[in-house]
Amino acid sequence: MSFQAKGLQAWLWQRITGAFMAFYILYVSQVFITTEQMTYQIWYTWLAHPVMNTATGLFFLQLAIHAWVGMRDIVLDYMLDDTLRLLTLTTISFFLITCSLALLRVLFSLSMPG
Amino acid sequence: MQNFNQRINKRPKNLNLLSVKFPMSAIMSVGHRAAGILLFLSIPYFLYLLQLSLNSEADFVWVKEQLKSPIVKVYSLLMIWSLAHHFLAGIRYLLLDFDVGIEKHLAQKSALIVMAAGFIIVIVFSFKII
Repeated sequence: MSFQAKGLQAWLWQRITGAFMAFYILYVSQVFITTEQMTYQIWYTWLAHPVMNTATGLFFLQLAIHAWVGMRDIVLDYMLDDTLRLLTLTTISFFLITCSLALLRVLFSLSMPG
Repeated sequence: MQNFNQRINKRPKNLNLLSVKFPMSAIMSVGHRAAGILLFLSIPYFLYLLQLSLNSEADFVWVKEQLKSPIVKVYSLLMIWSLAHHFLAGIRYLLLDFDVGIEKHLAQKSALIVMAAGFIIVIVFSFKII
């Protein structure tokens, strides 16, 4: 895959990541709505569980790809100045990579209690 | 790059938004983009809350208290609208890609449903939050 997600490829990535994230969001919303009283123990154990931990990491990587394609589309539509465009796209990509690393650091720091 | 800019300059421009018709699908589409930008900009704040909430029990309680403040509640509702609208509009686009509801009158109808559903979800959650 080239680093520039262009044309059909970007379109496809946008849809694949969107569909994957939809399932994760539905699941998480369902847990939030049905959990009467969210305590620290429930919250921590839930996110430390290997399946949820991995799914959340995967979700965020998908989010980063999805946000990159979407924000790139918007920048290409409205920013016509080449320098400004390049600067903005670089900032967005660095921002998303930083956020992804920060989230992975949080996820990796969790350990199953007991 | 030079050629590209010259080509752009030759394109016809119409910046008078009042002269353009905005059918429901266009309004929904603008909402989809706006919601996407809002969600994108909120990533650091949610990362911050997530990191704190898992740090210690005291921080978890602090985050919970934080979410109860009026400003954060209003912000939460904005985020709920953004997510709900972006989610539903995205599913509509996926269905359109598979030619489901591609006819003009159906597409307008589904756009209206997406717009309405987004607001209904916000109203339901506002009762739950407040």
